Amino acid sequence: MKRRSLIAAAAIAFGLIAANPAIAEDITLEFTVWNYSLDTIQDNARKFEEANPGIKVKITDYTWQDYHDSLVLRFRGGTPTDIAYVGQDWLPAWAAAGFLAPLDAAAPADVLDDLKKDIAGFSLSDMTYKGKLYGLPYYADTISFIYNKKVLADAGIAVPQTWDEVMAAAEKLKASGMEHPIVYEFDQELPNFFDAFVSQVYGRGGDLFDSEQKAIFDNPDNAAYKQLDWLVQAFKKDLVQQETHESKIIPSMNTGKHAFTVVFNYVLAAMNNAAEQPLAGQFALAPMPGEAHAALGFTKFYAVTAQAAKDPARAEAAWKFVNFMAGKPYTVAKRWAVEKGLGFGQVPLFDDPDVQAAWNKWIDSATLKQQVATARGGVWTEWTSAWTAYFRPLLAKAMVGEASVDEVMRAGAQRWNELREKMAKQ
Amino acid sequence: MWRTSRFPALWLLPALVPVIALTIFPIVQALWTSLHQVMLLFPGEDWVGLDNYRNVITGEYFGVALKNSLLFTLFSAPLVVVIGTATALFLNREFGGVAVLRSIVLLPWVLPGAISAVLWVWIFHPSWGVINSLLRRLELIDRSIPWLSNPDLAFLSVAVAHVWTQLPFTIVLVMAALSTLNKEVMEAAELDGATSAQRFAHIVFPHIKAILVVLLIYNALTAFTTYDIVYAMTGGGPGTATTLLSFQIWKESFSMYDFGAGSAVAFIVVAISALLIVAITKALPSDLFADA
Repeated sequence: MKRRSLIAAAAIAFGLIAANPAIAEDITLEFTVWNYSLDTIQDNARKFEEANPGIKVKITDYTWQDYHDSLVLRFRGGTPTDIAYVGQDWLPAWAAAGFLAPLDAAAPADVLDDLKKDIAGFSLSDMTYKGKLYGLPYYADTISFIYNKKVLADAGIAVPQTWDEVMAAAEKLKASGMEHPIVYEFDQELPNFFDAFVSQVYGRGGDLFDSEQKAIFDNPDNAAYKQLDWLVQAFKKDLVQQETHESKIIPSMNTGKHAFTVVFNYVLAAMNNAAEQPLAGQFALAPMPGEAHAALGFTKFYAVTAQAAKDPARAEAAWKFVNFMAGKPYTVAKRWAVEKGLGFGQVPLFDDPDVQAAWNKWIDSATLKQQVATARGGVWTEWTSAWTAYFRPLLAKAMVGEASVDEVMRAGAQRWNELREKMAKQ
Repeated sequence: MWRTSRFPALWLLPALVPVIALTIFPIVQALWTSLHQVMLLFPGEDWVGLDNYRNVITGEYFGVALKNSLLFTLFSAPLVVVIGTATALFLNREFGGVAVLRSIVLLPWVLPGAISAVLWVWIFHPSWGVINSLLRRLELIDRSIPWLSNPDLAFLSVAVAHVWTQLPFTIVLVMAALSTLNKEVMEAAELDGATSAQRFAHIVFPHIKAILVVLLIYNALTAFTTYDIVYAMTGGGPGTATTLLSFQIWKESFSMYDFGAGSAVAFIVVAISALLIVAITKALPSDLFADA
């Protein structure tokens, strides 16, 4: 009798443990990131682990350059991955391929609805595919026009409002001895290379695609066509110094030998970091040149993978982690904003006194608000990512004079429309 | 009967299984992929015959990638062998500090390709790079030379970096071949009044020519399939200036999500590599290895 009782007690205990996997065994979440401020990511993950006993987080990092392809390889190869950093331009293809799961597979609907109310419009759109939300913002930002205040003031040049004015200012600076007034992030393998171009086109008030997502930029009257022509002229006049990465733009601008660049806002934060940069304080944000002064807004976000979503316990743990990193009270998003100057998709943080105090040290809040208010999201389709991989080298070819603007725009538009039609047939 | 004929084959299994799993299977899988539409964006894996091959050959990037790969190979493979042989001959002498020098020339070998690329990106940097800085100090230039942003110079710069990474292997093999040279023959030739050039032409070169051919083939194949240094230095650019076929395999597969097209490019690279080997060996005298 005693033995039977013991067996029954053991069975009940086992059943209880099995019903609650968090107690039964630790869950280790596989989290993939690109290696920007890895120490901060690890510290955030450690804090999550402390707050959630039973859940561990294993971080795998890649360089930004390698991230996209490494993740495709991971997903294709079935390497365990639960949560991933995802770019807005990759979402449609990765969701359509079944790599990612919508958040509602793991998160309570009321919590999601509540969070959505706080997210900026373009950011929400960046993380949504076929009406479903696939993530919460890691950071959201605009690609902006940055200039050196002192250089312009010394040369008696007003802040340029149009691209023609930028060209005129650069030519004037070059005539007075500045070898390359413009620094340009030039790595045709990086998504930023295309995104920065789109941001400039938005500044002109243009679009690359019509409302039916047909390519329209092969028309010489299109703003994208005009902007590529502008870039070609700037390169031809030897006004531009190429840098392969934003991290190199920071010291380049801090030599005082350049006046203009187009980069993410957090790069401005690094440029104006008095502890590290000799010319900190000289750099400022200006509305993107052009008639519309709009810029490209974008979001990088935490997404739960389809692999994780298949296992309810793992999905729940993954959601807890995403919510910790990007959900209320926005502690982690605020940390990124205050410590690193990363933008955010969680609108209430704009009114946070700590964020305001930190940001006022390196950016003019009024100009930033104006730029964010006019920011527009990109056109992200299932084929955008594959197409930009094709189109970026073409853009580069035009800029360095290997192909004409017309050839590049025609080839790019043709490829876009082919992929669009092919997708429509599926 | 079974035991005598098949038993040895069983002993080979531990070696054969990994070879089949890691070499034969991926090759067969890649061939299969190259004949099917395998795209991330589109479900299904339909048979498309040679369409992938036709599409990549008539595409925007194949022609220029093929031209660049052949030029890259023609430029760098002979250069590696010539510089490597000259360096090995120099280091084969005995003089003060030669042991340290022999260690130093091996340095590029211990660096991963991506690290070497980062090093060379800084060397070629227009503002802070060593080369421009040196040229400025020597007052040979008054404006920065855009080593990596000018299409022609970028090709040259990447080729130079590639040659640098490949030199140690060539130097080591040539030095190994030189170490088997009969010193008495060399001393006798010297006593007979043969010049350095004559000793090289009539004694050293015939002795090491077989290894030089092997190195030429090896370096041709390495140059034709090189990837990491191009990816890290220029990303195939600017434009298509440094786009090589090996780079295009990766690009088609992982950036454009078209694994069928990527596999097709890979098989074209294999075919051209095989042709390269045949062409080089055919061009050589038939008795080349006889004296070795």
